[in-house]
Amino acid sequence: MTQELNVWLDKILGDIENVKIERKRSNRLRVDVDARALPAVLELLQGRASYVHLSAISCVDRIDDDEFELVYHVWSYEARSLVSAHTRIPRDPGVYLSIYDLYVPAAFFERDIHEMFGVYFEGSPDMGKFILTEWDGPPPMRKDFDSEKFVNETFNREQYHPQWLKDLEKEGGGITTPAEDARK
Amino acid sequence: MSKNKTLTKKDQMQQDKAQDGQQMLVDFTRPRTNPMANVFDGLVRFCQSRSMFMLHYCTGCGAIELPPAMTSRFDMERLGIQPMVTPRQADILLITGYVSVKTLKRIILTYEQMAAPKYVIGICSCTVNGGMYWQSYATAKVLREYLPVDIYIAGCMPRPEAIIEGLQVLMDDIKTGRAENWKRYFQNYDYYLGNQQKLFGDHWQTPTDIISEARHYDLITENTLGKHTALLEKHQAPLQALEMTLQQNRERV
Amino acid sequence: MPLVAFTVGLAMVLMLRKIAARLQRRIGPPFLQPVYDIVKLYSKDTQISHGMIHEMGIIMAVGGYIAAETLLPVPGMDGLADKGGIVTLTYLLMIPQLGLALGVGQCANPNGSIGISRALTAMLAYDIPFILVVFGMSWSYGTTNLAEMIAIQQQAGMQSWGIIQMPLLALAGLMVLPAMLGKQPFEIYVAPAEIATGPMVEMGGKFMGGLFVMQCFQLYTVGVLYTTLFLGGGENWLSFLFKIFVVVAIPMSIAFMFPRYRTEDMLRLMWKWPVLVGLLGLAVVMIQV
Repeated sequence: MTQELNVWLDKILGDIENVKIERKRSNRLRVDVDARALPAVLELLQGRASYVHLSAISCVDRIDDDEFELVYHVWSYEARSLVSAHTRIPRDPGVYLSIYDLYVPAAFFERDIHEMFGVYFEGSPDMGKFILTEWDGPPPMRKDFDSEKFVNETFNREQYHPQWLKDLEKEGGGITTPAEDARK
Repeated sequence: MSKNKTLTKKDQMQQDKAQDGQQMLVDFTRPRTNPMANVFDGLVRFCQSRSMFMLHYCTGCGAIELPPAMTSRFDMERLGIQPMVTPRQADILLITGYVSVKTLKRIILTYEQMAAPKYVIGICSCTVNGGMYWQSYATAKVLREYLPVDIYIAGCMPRPEAIIEGLQVLMDDIKTGRAENWKRYFQNYDYYLGNQQKLFGDHWQTPTDIISEARHYDLITENTLGKHTALLEKHQAPLQALEMTLQQNRERV
Repeated sequence: MPLVAFTVGLAMVLMLRKIAARLQRRIGPPFLQPVYDIVKLYSKDTQISHGMIHEMGIIMAVGGYIAAETLLPVPGMDGLADKGGIVTLTYLLMIPQLGLALGVGQCANPNGSIGISRALTAMLAYDIPFILVVFGMSWSYGTTNLAEMIAIQQQAGMQSWGIIQMPLLALAGLMVLPAMLGKQPFEIYVAPAEIATGPMVEMGGKFMGGLFVMQCFQLYTVGVLYTTLFLGGGENWLSFLFKIFVVVAIPMSIAFMFPRYRTEDMLRLMWKWPVLVGLLGLAVVMIQV
């Protein structure tokens, strides 16, 4: 039955325009869909194909393409398979539609993404602060936010360099490579 | 080249610290003329060192090393160290692991509720310098800037042996009367409050009124009050009791 | 007598902690650990008080037990035992919990309020079988005077001990012991991980010290009371101390076999089995007489 459903699903999804389907495994399907068609695809998956469980919404900052990639992972208990619907939205202004009316748990994921990436979801019930209640800087998971620079500007560092460590370094031990060199 | 650069920065920061007067500790203990009083003090300090109730604020991974230290393998109770669950009863505040900015608020609230003499132990490298979260935007780096830390037990994570050894060092310090860092919090409150305000914003206020406590216990110095405490006093609201209600669906404030 | 009670109580606390440690394959605290703890708690530099009633509550809790000690006969010292009697003692044993409730009430800590409401419910639970036992023993001996009870039991050696004469009542009393001491499985009102030691949540420094002292008295009182009712009191100090230590050690040794009962389960359990056994014992006593 599971196989049947999957075949049927591939067929249905193939009928929609602008959808690229890639079946990775029998229970893993990647769907690349245009941002305008994504809610329709999710509605179809939920309403017609028993994909009732929204596992997560993840966000990737594709700074080179100036886009955010949003990935909606939905799971079906009947077909026992996971569909990942990928879509891309422009980085600026970074506004997208909420799928709260389809999947209620989406509210939390959207709130989280709004906090971490600054993507605004229209129609989401609450776009307030979620975890970073003490934070009022830019969204920290964006690629253009330099965490290390921020840390260097905000926090002091403990300076502990006793004689025994100096002796150790003279013999070639200890951590002597600064962070900048280690990254090369 | 880059190393030289960091070195000069280090030196500058050390100079800044010296100017802050952070290390200053004014001794307010009354001079004892009665020789018996010294004996009594010594006895009390001995009891304090042999009976330490610890409140382990398990912020991070270091907490996992505490159960073996407390239970049958290493058995801290031999040294009179017991876990306690509320800050009111505890003597030691163990901070085991990274301290995020959000957690730091709670740590400070907890610390201020403890009854002195109180000691802070920072376990793991994260409390020393951010550890492996050294470039994380959300992690407070140097715990010493926000609370007077008595002992650091570095390591990622320190083994139970190391933790017990650190606690023994603290015991020796208490026995000889050197572990008086809790006074430093009252005496240099302006410095600590300034660092706290830098992270939490100007409207930071704790339920415990440290300044009046410092006044009450006669621990006030010229470093207790300053421009940061002036800022605090400007907006400080008196503490009010929480409204108690049995309603099911409370409005979120 | 309170001084004796305190010293013996300290030793009992040590014994309890040692037993707990041994059961968990630990070494346990050093010999003077209870003393260190109490001295340390009283020598705190800063104190956090929540007001008059908070302090009065602790004084009541400790004072209630000190008053109770004067009514407990020990070898060679009867104190007020032949004047007060067991009824007065039963009343006095309720004062500490009520004092604690007063003190906790002023702290306004929700955990404390939960804890004390559970503690008072627990008291309600164990008091009914306890009163049954006390009533049965008084009926059987024909007196409420503790000193006379001891005298009756010491007439014919072990044969006349309460535990031989009235085994059912002794069993009911044994069931009530862990609840009176607040040990597992009846320590829901302390519950360190859930409600942060319940009534003790706001007690630091001297308040906690007061509670530690109270615990010493509590252990002593319960031990002596059971010994007086069922084990023939003490002929001399050696047998007396041996008996009360054994009595206190029993609930502690079996404590770690149990998880906790919830408050309502505890109430149900306490009102079912000890009451049933106690009533049977009472019936036997009344038929015999």
